[in-house]
Amino acid sequence: MNQYDVIVVGAGNGGLVAACSVAKAGYKTLLLEKHNLPGGCATSFVRGRFEFEAALHELCDTSTSPEADSVKKIFERLGVSVPLESEETLFRAVCPGEDGFDVRLRTGYDNFLADMEAAVPGCHDSVKALLDLNNVLDDAQDYMAGGSMNPAVLISKYPDFVRAASSSTDQVMNALGIPKKAQQILATYWGYLGVPTDDLNCLHYLSLLAAFVNSAPTMPRHRSHELSLDLVRVFQENGGEIRYNSEVTRFLYDKGACVGVAAGGDVFYAKKIVSNIIPNNVFNRSPADAVGKRDRKLANARELGMTFITFYIGLDAPMEELGIDDYSVFIMNDPDNRKQYNHRLDFGMYVVNCLNKVLPNASPEGTSMLFFTLPIMPGDLPEDLTAQTYKKFKNEFAEKYIRDYERVMGVQIMDHIEELVIATPVTFARYLATPDGCIYGYSNARWDSVVARTVAEPMELRIPNLYFCGGHSVRGDGYPSAYITGAMAADKVIKALKEGK
Amino acid sequence: MDNKPNLNSIKPAAFAGMMGRRLKAIATSSAAPVRDLYDYPANRLARELHPSKQYLRVAAIEAHSDDMKTYTLVPDKEKGTAALAWFSAGQYLVIALKVGGKACSRPYSISSSPAETLEGRYRLTIKRVADGTVSNHILDTWTVGTSVLASAPMGDFTYEPLRDAKTVVGVAGGSGITPFYAFAKAIAEGEEDFNLTILYGSRTLEDAVFSEEIKALAAACPRLRLVNVLSDVSKKPKDAEKGFITAALIKKYAPENEPYSVFLCGPQAMYNFVDKELEGLGLRRKFIRHELFGEYFHPENDAAYPENVAESFQLTVRIAGKSQTVACPRDTSLLRAMEAAGINAPADCRSGRCGWCHSQLISGEVFVPASVDGRRQADKLYGYIHPCCTFPLSDVVIDVPPLPYK
Repeated sequence: MNQYDVIVVGAGNGGLVAACSVAKAGYKTLLLEKHNLPGGCATSFVRGRFEFEAALHELCDTSTSPEADSVKKIFERLGVSVPLESEETLFRAVCPGEDGFDVRLRTGYDNFLADMEAAVPGCHDSVKALLDLNNVLDDAQDYMAGGSMNPAVLISKYPDFVRAASSSTDQVMNALGIPKKAQQILATYWGYLGVPTDDLNCLHYLSLLAAFVNSAPTMPRHRSHELSLDLVRVFQENGGEIRYNSEVTRFLYDKGACVGVAAGGDVFYAKKIVSNIIPNNVFNRSPADAVGKRDRKLANARELGMTFITFYIGLDAPMEELGIDDYSVFIMNDPDNRKQYNHRLDFGMYVVNCLNKVLPNASPEGTSMLFFTLPIMPGDLPEDLTAQTYKKFKNEFAEKYIRDYERVMGVQIMDHIEELVIATPVTFARYLATPDGCIYGYSNARWDSVVARTVAEPMELRIPNLYFCGGHSVRGDGYPSAYITGAMAADKVIKALKEGK
Repeated sequence: MDNKPNLNSIKPAAFAGMMGRRLKAIATSSAAPVRDLYDYPANRLARELHPSKQYLRVAAIEAHSDDMKTYTLVPDKEKGTAALAWFSAGQYLVIALKVGGKACSRPYSISSSPAETLEGRYRLTIKRVADGTVSNHILDTWTVGTSVLASAPMGDFTYEPLRDAKTVVGVAGGSGITPFYAFAKAIAEGEEDFNLTILYGSRTLEDAVFSEEIKALAAACPRLRLVNVLSDVSKKPKDAEKGFITAALIKKYAPENEPYSVFLCGPQAMYNFVDKELEGLGLRRKFIRHELFGEYFHPENDAAYPENVAESFQLTVRIAGKSQTVACPRDTSLLRAMEAAGINAPADCRSGRCGWCHSQLISGEVFVPASVDGRRQADKLYGYIHPCCTFPLSDVVIDVPPLPYK
């Protein structure tokens, strides 16, 4: 009765795609979720007459553009069908001050280059060289997708790939001679990955940048909860069984191999287990001798990655009336993103999204919604924060940033707040149960870049029958990475099951 | 010579060093078990604020009348609750218990102040209501020492300084005074920072529990005021109003030249009456906040309710793979039908708002009154419901999450 081919632990983006993929391949699959909703971060919540997007800024790689690639393919293969609305402007980057800028960049190769050239005359050719580098990367990735990763072959056949893969984003931009101001504008997306570009792996950054340049960012019409429910639909239509309020409290082993889990007072067994939850939590729910010394040392060596403070604001006036023009605005208090990172609790950099720009009916007529995102790091919350001071801390923080937004953008929103929800790492710790409320798992800084993770993957997290997917996995942060690693884990599981392993 | 921008200045050989750095970082780190989840400050604080359950014990009972009592609840350390979770004034606890062997739960506003949690007590004030299964059970059976299973504090009927006006006119009806008593104490204690004028509707002054207590707080705190509004008196009493809480009365006590918020907590009849009155005041919607509506009864009275609906239907409930079919009359919510059949299903606010009962509608037609439909848009598209405010229009099959185990 409680025997399955595959058990997927956690119905986040990665877990949902993994579960759908193995169920679609015909395997009896159980998906266990601790919360009473699917999606993990991919969810929404209702306050008054507003339904707030909890996490998604935009999807990439999903549009109808022929350049759209990985996420689109995954959705098509699974039969995920959710109406997506696209946005032409990637972002507006605003950095007040003499050395600052106020730039809007559009999606599309030619548009993007034209907007960059207009912002920083003379940068066109070097920025083009950066974007074109992505083609070299694609070729090399195709080579590696074949399963081989011979460094000697890579260095001789794909030297620029190797250079980008082992350099920081700044190193590559400097080598290409990209003017400083253009570098600062191009670096805007660092906030999605939580690592400043003097450390951020160039290959990683470039794949993100290229995805946005090559295909328009999109948003689901009814928040990312719609994506999650559509994935559940696909899973159930393929015979999958999903169980909510069923936190996996123990991973079960036999002769060193993971053979099942305990959840909701029951035990479930399977040939393969896919964990969408972070290895730290798996290890803590496994007997000490089940986890190899190397994996324990790896988990202890890793730094936790980015988390956020977010404000979800319902306004009782339409965006036009308030003078809000953009979907996505990155506001920076210094053009240098290392300084933005260092001053991350003091207006360093934050993102403000107005969903009504992409989806005019996202909130009732006469209203609009704003979503503030402040990238911060685990451990950034004040040490003396207590249950009693928490609400005051949140409100003071939100007021400070709302005032700053009003000042920088020359708008007035404070008097229009009809709903306000403030989330912090404590909120994310509550809902995601990740260490210190980290969103994606581990930091992509220094030795733990996605390239290093990919190269090391065959040697790491080697518990038999157990596979991982999600932001903590090889692709790093973001919805697409979670979807892709979910599909990758499923491919491995299916291959192993077919081979009778 | 190649003048195109290129990467020639970067040595490809650096690639080889990348793995070396990783291996070194791993080799030099500790092989000890990974850090416990609750060793991280954010996780610890999250658990402190939102424990999955609170085990409490009745420590004292104060009877305001035969039909209304205040219970002082303290942590049950033996069962594992060492301290009470902090809350914001205006929040409620969901009490889970069994009546006649059948599991049920109800939300009750906390009438004590947040500061009192530090002294180890919550206070709940419970009033007898006609057909009030749970409230009446509590009034009839709870004694000092009774074990009580409660949720973490929840609800968003709270004062939010960035959203609400500096002055709040509270409209309280009957036992709806309880969150306002908590607000009043929190203001007097300096925990909350706003002005509060409570218009407290009751039949007689004797029915208006906590009036004296709140007036005593107001005597020492100029930010507070309480005005009794009495419906069953023959003439206007001194220091009180006669009649109902009307637009004119709200206007009389509201500040003249500055914005104010109106907070409402009371029976459904009061909401229906006062909401109509508020329409005449032209307040922006953001300045009107309601506590939970409470359970929805008589869906057949809703204008959108269809015609020719049969009297009763079969409700098939699947929980964790097990299936059970029970009767569900058309005027009974799916949640009530489950509870009547002894099925222990998730339920917290019972007002369509909190989403804890979120379940999947597998087949059948249902009616959800628009005024209490707190679902996400995609829930409606994909057939998910809140059983607490969903009524059958045909035989129905639903899949309900099991209660969390622990």
